[in-house]
Amino acid sequence: MSADSRATAPDVLTMTGVSKTFPGVKALDDVSLDVREGEVLALVGENGAGKSTLLKILSGIYRADSGEVRLGDQPFVATSPKAAREAGIAMIHQELQQVPRLDVAQNMFLGAQMTSLGVFTDKAEMRARAREVLQRLDPTIDVTARLGTLRVAQRQIVEIAKALLAKARVIAMDEPTSSLTPHEFERLVEVIESLKAHGVAVIYVSHKLEEVFRVASRATVLRDGRFVGTVALKDVDEGRLVAMMVGRALEVSHQQSYAKDEIMLETRGLGRGEAVKSVDLTLRKGEVLGVAGLVGAGRTELMRLIAGVDQPTAGEIRIRGRVKAFRTPRDAIENGIALLPEERKKDGIVPQRSILSNVSLPRLPFLTRFGLLRRGLIRSRVRELGRNVSLRPLDIDRQIRVFSGGNQQKAIICRWLMAEADVLIFDEPTRGIDVGAKAEIYRLIEGLAEEGRSIIVVSSELPEILRVSDRVLVMRRGVAEGVLAREDATEQSIMRLAVTGAQLQGSNP
Amino acid sequence: MTTPPSSAGAQTASEAPSRFRLRLTVRDLGTLIGLVVICAVFAMLSDVFLTERNLVNILQQSSINSCVAIGMTMVIISGGIDLSVGPVAACAAVLAASLLVSGFPVLLSICAGLAVGAICGAFNGVLIAYAGLQPFIVTLGTLSIFRALALIYTGGNPILGVPTEFRRLFASEIWIFPVPVVVVAVLVVVGSVLLARTPLGEYIFAVGGNEEAARISGVPIARTKIAAYAMSGFLAALAAIILVARLGAAEPTLGNLWELEAIAASAIGGASLMGGKGSIVGTILGAIVLGAMRNGLTLLNVQAFYQLLATGVIIILAMLIDRLTRGRE
Repeated sequence: MSADSRATAPDVLTMTGVSKTFPGVKALDDVSLDVREGEVLALVGENGAGKSTLLKILSGIYRADSGEVRLGDQPFVATSPKAAREAGIAMIHQELQQVPRLDVAQNMFLGAQMTSLGVFTDKAEMRARAREVLQRLDPTIDVTARLGTLRVAQRQIVEIAKALLAKARVIAMDEPTSSLTPHEFERLVEVIESLKAHGVAVIYVSHKLEEVFRVASRATVLRDGRFVGTVALKDVDEGRLVAMMVGRALEVSHQQSYAKDEIMLETRGLGRGEAVKSVDLTLRKGEVLGVAGLVGAGRTELMRLIAGVDQPTAGEIRIRGRVKAFRTPRDAIENGIALLPEERKKDGIVPQRSILSNVSLPRLPFLTRFGLLRRGLIRSRVRELGRNVSLRPLDIDRQIRVFSGGNQQKAIICRWLMAEADVLIFDEPTRGIDVGAKAEIYRLIEGLAEEGRSIIVVSSELPEILRVSDRVLVMRRGVAEGVLAREDATEQSIMRLAVTGAQLQGSNP
Repeated sequence: MTTPPSSAGAQTASEAPSRFRLRLTVRDLGTLIGLVVICAVFAMLSDVFLTERNLVNILQQSSINSCVAIGMTMVIISGGIDLSVGPVAACAAVLAASLLVSGFPVLLSICAGLAVGAICGAFNGVLIAYAGLQPFIVTLGTLSIFRALALIYTGGNPILGVPTEFRRLFASEIWIFPVPVVVVAVLVVVGSVLLARTPLGEYIFAVGGNEEAARISGVPIARTKIAAYAMSGFLAALAAIILVARLGAAEPTLGNLWELEAIAASAIGGASLMGGKGSIVGTILGAIVLGAMRNGLTLLNVQAFYQLLATGVIIILAMLIDRLTRGRE
């Protein structure tokens, strides 16, 4: 990478001693960073470390209480998002702020339409300008296509193109890869390289440290709103960076296997339409089965079949050797199968209800006397479970939505422990969860396996799969391409199966 | 591990450990304060307002709407809406009245009326839960259907001559309170216990709060929804029977605009039309707020047009106050 040659390039943006206090919380405390022309600076830290606050100050959503921001050699105060945009600061949000019904060009000119005669929008001119910019980033995107028909990755590139169109000098990307496939990530890397070549400074916010090392030359680390340091990434390794983020070293050991011989769950020829095709799967007692594959390989769809959320169109599910048919998730739960969905906010939690309500929900019919809930019993059980998973804060009456992602996930684990589930299906168990809590979730999964529960972990993060799994099932285009034993599973062997399928794979039929 | 919580959200929250448990009552307290303020204003303007008789009167006048609104609150918490309560009440009223007039036993007639209400409600629930239609549309449709059934059944004429034996049942008093007020008080207790202390109550909140999460957690979605609408229908029928007893006749056009009154009471009482939030106590207070407004303005000889205006203003004002106080959380 040519990052070093640019080490002397002029600073585009410097923030010095920036602080921001919200009622009761010091969100940012004396934070400084600088980005140079044509450089990618990673901004890393756990959830709640202050990254979002910093970006919001930069983009004019919040005003800093103190500290200085300079753009080039001019002091700059972003008084509004509009002012920040006009000064050349662009934000690529995690959830793209676009209008799906409008076409690509219209989206790129949203809020800044070009007009002829002062009234009519000049579509031809807008399209020509849009095409010109997109040519540099991704020529395959058609400026006349409706934005809604594009994939997320392409929509993101449209957003970046929009920033370029607005002559952005600094582009901040907030978790840009959260919904991208590995292949799409590679495209993004190319786009970022092209931004660098045009002298744009990029601030790259991500949880995924592999990406950070790929994309950025330096990283600014925040922890609990405080500035920890800025490091050149060629001087540090991942472990060191994580230690800076969490303030302690995390062990990255491989989990022990607790798999027994007894088979808990089997599927034979299980399928649904084109999404899942004839999947055979075996899960033993105490085993952790990783399920890998690219986004869209049918992993989540398979899990929804096993958990009774969707109905299979082919094949069968056996629990402890007995064929079962689940019409609803309730049926699956009665057979000890629990799903911890990927999108916790959408499918996992009832946000405005308490931890108590959320955890006890599946078990309620068994916790009544004369039709009334046995509140004392429920409270003590939920509190005990919460303590076992070190739920923080251990306040079971508080609404679940105010808990961090990691603690919400712990609460959902409690839910299924309370329901006495034998098979727990984790779909992307650590998505949106910060590094410290990740390790806790892994330990919990290990503990569940040790207790003799069977676990399925669907994950797009290969290090995660490799860390927790006893065996790895790899899916591709709805088909189970193969199962890798722990000793055969490497990032390479998994990716080979996930991308090209079994026919090129010599061993492991 | 002894790491402190790292998320800022968790830290802010830890300052008020028991806020959630108090939350419902804090919102209810807000409605109560609103009610007290309204009463204080009327007490200053009218000598009669604060008399025991008038206060009981307000409760009596609010009892019909209170009854309907309790059912409406259940439905709203479950994430739905029931526009058909008025016509459901009319169906129950004309059936019960015609049975009474033709000499059926009082208790049996009442039960038949209540059953019709529950069945009409369950019909709404089935269409919503199994056919996957939107509650607003379903109950908009059944609003016409049930009204038509009541009109067809009676030929558009009121059913007169309800036996006095039945009328006396609801006209008597327990201590100083008329029977309808006592009935509502019992409903408040039963409804609150049902919401707070039974699996069905938790299910209603869960379905309204996040239906997909509830489904994945094993909540019987369809049964929960049907139960909520059936309760709404049942309580609309109960309100109808109280009204028939008071009037001595059953009009097929009875219950016009009940749905709006009930929704207003629920909303003033803190129920969120997005679902997942609401309380029976709040709803009752909301219904009494509306009743006290009407009563007070009538005592002051304010024209009915202005009463309508005042009702609208109170609803909007309550929502604004709710919005502003919630903004600070």
